[in-house]
Amino acid sequence: MIGLGQPFACRTVLVTEDDDRALVERCLRGDRSAFEQLVVRYQKPVFNAALRLLHSPEDARDVAQTTFLKAYEHLASYEASFKFYSWLYRIAVNEALDALHARKPSEALDGSEPDQTGGPEQVAEGEQLGRAIESELAQINPDLRAVIVLRHLMHLSYQDMSDILVLPEKTVKSRLYSARQLLRERFQQHGLKT
Amino acid sequence: MTHASPLELMHAEIDGELNWHQKGELAQLVLADAQARAEREGLRRVCAALDALTAVEPPGDLRSSILAALPQVASPRVRSAAFVPDWRIAAAVAAVLIAGAVVFETGRGPRLTGSEAVGTMAAAEGLTLDTVRLDSGPVQGRVRLYRQGSGLALAFEVRASAPVDALVTGDGATLRVSSLGPRTRVQLPGFDPDTHAVEVSFFVNGHRVGGATLKAGRP
Repeated sequence: MIGLGQPFACRTVLVTEDDDRALVERCLRGDRSAFEQLVVRYQKPVFNAALRLLHSPEDARDVAQTTFLKAYEHLASYEASFKFYSWLYRIAVNEALDALHARKPSEALDGSEPDQTGGPEQVAEGEQLGRAIESELAQINPDLRAVIVLRHLMHLSYQDMSDILVLPEKTVKSRLYSARQLLRERFQQHGLKT
Repeated sequence: MTHASPLELMHAEIDGELNWHQKGELAQLVLADAQARAEREGLRRVCAALDALTAVEPPGDLRSSILAALPQVASPRVRSAAFVPDWRIAAAVAAVLIAGAVVFETGRGPRLTGSEAVGTMAAAEGLTLDTVRLDSGPVQGRVRLYRQGSGLALAFEVRASAPVDALVTGDGATLRVSSLGPRTRVQLPGFDPDTHAVEVSFFVNGHRVGGATLKAGRP
């Protein structure tokens, strides 16, 4: 079960763009503590993005760890003209989607059966509602789930989403609209009172 | 007039992307059409609910496990002699921690005859190579293959109604681990770090009850 905690605060990363570049530069000069600062800064959004995509804390942890290690390994290929967090989140999303695709068919999350951990009858407010929404989110196609996570949970712009998903903005919007429609239908279908 | 459909206008409104003309167009639309009104309200509620989801704190040891694994994947420009001692120290510490608890064997058959090896908690974990979920049979949970220092290691998170032993094989090397716990870490000394896969068999009361193949990422 995915627990609930602090509100997402991903918008704050927008003001740290220059800091990120400086940290990357320091890291590339061999300053390991600079990378530690990047880990501290982004471990929460990366972990949460993976968590919402994978619906498994254990798998999210693995993806978060692999994301940072890959980022470190390929840091020299990072282009400073792009936002560091877009680059990092791209790695995270790709890792999470790869992990999803690697799951056995029985674990595929694109079926129509809702997670029964928070049935509509029990759903009231607060945590239960949050869990029910997360359960519904976990049931939709991973590509649609990714745009929901980036937009509504990480509060990223279309431009950032386009960079991360390597898709035209128009396609990102189209996917997002489809994902919202689908979730709305699922919420209605399962009696979720939002 | 805009070329956007009513639904596109509703989504764009949620995203704060409507100009004053489009806002007027949408307002007229929902005023005249009850179904459009309901659709707009439904979408707004869904988006509000999604926006209200809260973040969870990452595992407390996530940062340390990432940092501990860094020297194993040196960045091209970061690669420096300064990292080598850290890496060697980490590998040596991990080896010492594991050595007292794990017995390594080669060339033995797959049958478990006793508790020759006992899993233990390893030092900081490295890059995950593969994870297999165990969701059928008497052993439940997952097993994860990851790099530890210059070698390989396994993380078992298993549950069962009886003590579970494991037999790990790969490229001629064999390791027996007895009495797996809910969080057991074992290094795989003698296993080729470049092996393509590691096989794990689970035993309860001497009987094989399941297995898993973990890919090490090498073709």
